[in-house]
Amino acid sequence: MIHTTQADAGITVVRTGMERLTAINSKAFKDGIVELIDAGNSVIVIDFTKTNFMDSSGLGALAGVLKKIGHRGDLAVCGLNAEVTQMFKICRMDRVFSIYADEAAAVRALSEKT
Amino acid sequence: MREQIEVIVAEDNVVQRTYMRRLIENAGVTCFKVIEAEDGQAALELLKTSRAEILITDYQMPGLNGVELTRAARSLDLGRYVHIILITGTDMGGYDVRADALNAGADDFLNKEKDPTALKARLRTAMRLIHHGKELEEQHRAMKEANDRINEDLAAAAHAQRNLLPDINTNILGAHVASVFVPSSVVSGDMFGCFPLNDSQIGFYAVDVSGHGIRASLMSVAIGYLITPEFFTKSVLDEDGIPRPARLVRELNERFCTDAHDDYFTMLCGVMDTRRVKLFFCQAGYPSPYYVDANGNATPIGDGGFPVGMFSGVDYEDGNIGVDLDGMLLCCSDGAFEAENNEGIPFGEQRMEEIVKQIYHEPADKVPEKIVKALADWRGRKPLEDDLTVVAVKRNMR
Repeated sequence: MIHTTQADAGITVVRTGMERLTAINSKAFKDGIVELIDAGNSVIVIDFTKTNFMDSSGLGALAGVLKKIGHRGDLAVCGLNAEVTQMFKICRMDRVFSIYADEAAAVRALSEKT
Repeated sequence: MREQIEVIVAEDNVVQRTYMRRLIENAGVTCFKVIEAEDGQAALELLKTSRAEILITDYQMPGLNGVELTRAARSLDLGRYVHIILITGTDMGGYDVRADALNAGADDFLNKEKDPTALKARLRTAMRLIHHGKELEEQHRAMKEANDRINEDLAAAAHAQRNLLPDINTNILGAHVASVFVPSSVVSGDMFGCFPLNDSQIGFYAVDVSGHGIRASLMSVAIGYLITPEFFTKSVLDEDGIPRPARLVRELNERFCTDAHDDYFTMLCGVMDTRRVKLFFCQAGYPSPYYVDANGNATPIGDGGFPVGMFSGVDYEDGNIGVDLDGMLLCCSDGAFEAENNEGIPFGEQRMEEIVKQIYHEPADKVPEKIVKALADWRGRKPLEDDLTVVAVKRNMR
């Protein structure tokens, strides 16, 4: 469901494997990332390039991940398609998530911060 | 202790029959009760009047033979399964009686030779199957009973949820409010309310709890009970009677924010003010409603807002727009925009705006059902994946 690689500067890049992040798989998605956080990965990029639909449960899980990381690290998302971007905008998620066009931009931004 | 299993022995030869009875009774299995039948017809009658679950039948008998008896037994509606064992001779003159009997519904065969051990083995197998069948039946019954109870509970919950909603069609202070509420399962995570606050202001809200089904419905019903007209009026109207719906949303956000779970809801909260001729609203992650003017131009209003119960301390904004005579406010939950057709393409905003253009002149009570119909046509056979709410509020004061 998620594929993890390590970028430079202690940044963990997570690529989602599912086309749809919904009530059906959002808990497993969150559990997978929480496991990474608990294992000490506190700077994370989630790449949603493969995901073309996210429902309200999916957004809830993602917000849960953000709250879990809290002040101990950083989270960035990238690869959002037009529909997901629109949903983020209506829910003002663009004000709480750091959003980048792609992985490279996200990793660059996070490594400059740290 | 296990109950007795009745066994019918169909055999026209009295010596053979008695011998068979002895064999069964001495098979070391104490739970069998043997019933003798002197021919096929008698066995058939005994199947109807007894509770026999095993039939051991000879092939050659006057009247009904063993295969005919098997076929006749299978056509009876006994409400129980009968395990049938056919006894055949070794030399049937080339006729494959076993194939015939298998087609007729026989379960097992025995040779006519005296072989008590084989009989014992067949009886044990039969008994095991019968007990296994009974256990399955009992499990099935228990599961069905539990399932029926859950369904009854759900139907009662759905009824209670329905009762929380305002009338599907209602006139409030010269505005016509019409709504359609379609749960994706029996109960819904959507909630909607609409009521007069005084003689010139109509308060309304629409809520969509994240997820759907029973879990979401628990929260939606809690919200429905919480937002009474009194609560709404007290939270929304300021000292000068000016509507500030964001105040109510802020209050709910602080109340529902918790780290215990990821549940939250999106909301649209508004006041139609007939004296100020304005619509005051606060959008909290709920899809932008459309304001449809008297010429059918649909404009999405609001540019978003945080959902409720997700992040503590975030702020919410009030917005307002002027409302024409015959102007209409149309709210659709995201279940409308996200409804997909067979190819997985969502209905989307553009199609919604086209539908609105076609139906804006209709009376308010026709609008929600026409949108639901358009969505149903779009989905084809695909079921609704999310709860759907459509609300139309039309000023109609001519």
